[in-house]
Amino acid sequence: MVPERLQDFKLKPLKCELNFLSKSDGSAILSQGDTVVLASVNGPLDIKTTSQNIEKATLEVLFCSKEGKPSVADRFKENVIRNTCETAILGCLYPRTGITLTIQELENYGGLLTCAVNCACLALINSGVGMRHVVAAVSCAVNEVGDLVLEPTQQEAESARALLYFVFDSRDKNLVTGFTEGTFSEDTYEEALVRCRLASDFVFQFYRDVVKKYSNVI
Amino acid sequence: MAEIFKHIYPSKYFNDYISRNVRPDGRKFDEHRDVKVNINAITSADASAAVKCGNSTVVCGIKLELAKPKAEEPDTGFLISNVELLPLCSSKFRPGPPSDHAQVINNIVSDIVMNSKCIDLKDLCLVHDKLAWVVYCDLVCLDYDGSIVDACIVAIMTSLKTLLLPSVSFDAETEEVKVDTSARLPLKIHGLPVATSFGIYEHIPRNIVLADPSAYEEEMCGGVGANLIVCWNKGLFCGIQKFGGSNLSTEDEKRTLVLAKEISKLVEGVIETCIKNDKVK
Amino acid sequence: MEGRPRALLERGLCSAVDAQWLMMMMMMMEGRDCLKSYDEVYSGLFDEKGHRKDGREMKEARAMYARGNFVSQAKGSSYIEMNKTKVVCSVFAPREISHQNEFSTVGQLFCEVKFAPFSCHLQRQPHVPDAEEKALSVALRKALEPTVCCHLFANFQIDIFVYILENDGACLAAAITAAGLALANGAVPMYDIITASSIAIIGDKMFIDPTEREEHLALSSPETKQNHGVITMSRMHGLKQIADFRQIGSLDVDCILKATDILEEECNKIVPKIQMILVRYINNGIIQQKKLAEAAKEREAALKIKMKEWSSSIIKISD
Repeated sequence: MVPERLQDFKLKPLKCELNFLSKSDGSAILSQGDTVVLASVNGPLDIKTTSQNIEKATLEVLFCSKEGKPSVADRFKENVIRNTCETAILGCLYPRTGITLTIQELENYGGLLTCAVNCACLALINSGVGMRHVVAAVSCAVNEVGDLVLEPTQQEAESARALLYFVFDSRDKNLVTGFTEGTFSEDTYEEALVRCRLASDFVFQFYRDVVKKYSNVI
Repeated sequence: MAEIFKHIYPSKYFNDYISRNVRPDGRKFDEHRDVKVNINAITSADASAAVKCGNSTVVCGIKLELAKPKAEEPDTGFLISNVELLPLCSSKFRPGPPSDHAQVINNIVSDIVMNSKCIDLKDLCLVHDKLAWVVYCDLVCLDYDGSIVDACIVAIMTSLKTLLLPSVSFDAETEEVKVDTSARLPLKIHGLPVATSFGIYEHIPRNIVLADPSAYEEEMCGGVGANLIVCWNKGLFCGIQKFGGSNLSTEDEKRTLVLAKEISKLVEGVIETCIKNDKVK
Repeated sequence: MEGRPRALLERGLCSAVDAQWLMMMMMMMEGRDCLKSYDEVYSGLFDEKGHRKDGREMKEARAMYARGNFVSQAKGSSYIEMNKTKVVCSVFAPREISHQNEFSTVGQLFCEVKFAPFSCHLQRQPHVPDAEEKALSVALRKALEPTVCCHLFANFQIDIFVYILENDGACLAAAITAAGLALANGAVPMYDIITASSIAIIGDKMFIDPTEREEHLALSSPETKQNHGVITMSRMHGLKQIADFRQIGSLDVDCILKATDILEEECNKIVPKIQMILVRYINNGIIQQKKLAEAAKEREAALKIKMKEWSSSIIKISD
């Protein structure tokens, strides 16, 4: 039961503002429903020799939660965002440099990680760092009955049997990052993947709209 | 000569092999390394398993403790797993507090064990709101040669499967606890989750999927942590993880899932046979 | 070596009020000796025939299993097992000393000894190294320093990591022997092979290659003023020199001299084993090298024939 038209999907309303911070090289504030995240990019900059990579730029990601206390869960989010964005940027253009990506959680009403990945991508677009492709994150929950729910709310996510997160690239819609919680069957996984892949078009369209809007200003 | 070339130009060295449809260690692309399991090698632990997947070596030791359950969840016990990537297992790791990579591996392993629901934490509770088991699973890596999550899952599941819990009697009035280590009962395990790692190598015209990558292959496939990890338990997925690295196309992804299923069946067989052989002894 | 079990016991006792600890202690200490008197524990070390609890004679060391090339990622590595004591060691290639302003004319050794969280019967370990681990690390470095040709790699350091999977006494001796084997396995220039052995002394009884229980009792002080203590000695066989001598406890001079003789003999007994392992690896290496050289020769010959074909074909075309 793959929905045929894009209109069949209901993603949370997306709102974005670029250049939100004046001092950083690139920044974006993104709201997906009620969840709000702010991201800023600085770089490519000089970094200390020990963390330099002679082949490509080193990406450093810092995730600040609302509570401000660092935790293992934050490290996990940083890892997801860093690995995803490292694939997206053309790091080989800036060898021996560092790009810092700082993400600040502002409001969390579910779907924080997908929002953070999308916001990070927008900030990277805004900073003008060379990119291989852009990325879009979409999440999906399997509820108690076994139905798929795209972009679950906090309550839906808590009661879900399984949660699946996917990040796709804009070129071939290939899987960049994916991770899951809970147990699910192969069919469910395939269906979720297909649906999320289609839904990612929505996010890419949104990116285009945002960039179009801001390029008019320039 | 080849060794020197490998050090001078590692990416070219690797690419030359892949272009000739073979991996540097002579394996085919979808071939995984042999799994060896040794049960109860460590007598000071309550249960233990030493696992070798190719060169990768992981030892899991389980220690039992008693504690009071949490007030919010008075009916559940504790299962705490910890993965240690020692500086001794690879020059990538330095002594000191656990690195980010170790924390991520730890997160993945405990997520898989929890998500597969192979252990009901309620089974670990002895007396409601008074007494419960704390199962500490310490996983130490002695040799880091890639696909460490696979080895960790085999080690932790084998030790949990061979774990025998001593019988405990609890006096409700005096709150006295008596532990009888001579009468031991096995812990209930539902299913047997098995994880399989894949490296995705960026190659033209299409990316190549390598089953059970070694440390060197992992480095060529986008560095540590970029593996695709698929975990099966009783015909269901209990974790599919991939963080960045090279992109995965739909066909590759379908093929990988089928391959993961095959490999996990084989590994399951190895674990079951080892446990059976151990019991005969 | 500060007695680990003793430290544990102290820790266990001071927090005995803690019910959780007590419960755990009751469970785990069943059959252990925390509540027994000194004499009871002492007599518990022997069986009816006067042998030690594990069936060994007083002078008998445990059989040792040793191997090299244990860790594929390390330059040199080893694994040593003495019944229940199990030790892994790996050595990495010399690397520049970071965060150092001054040039050091001799190379440095960095040693780290760590216990597995499940290596002892009690206690779990936090990530920070505890006092015993630190003491063992220093002892290991002191023992290895005289054997490694440090002047050959100025301003560089060699990392030596030892991991104790299971501890049943004599772990420092095992660690030193393992590190010596790993260094030789990793082709680090050394003056000689280093082996170590330890002995526990209680009164007139000498326990060679002691178990954890024997070590523990030798380190706890009896009421009478008798000899007690543990000695670990490492020795360079070929040079007939003692690399390190470590004694804890109170012992009279005669006793120490006697123990030194015994330990010297014990250290020598291990040497042939280590030599055999090393020779075997070198032999294998030479065979491997020969095979590779032959293969390379064949390839080159094939290439030459190809070259001739090509050059002749080129001549034909130009004609």
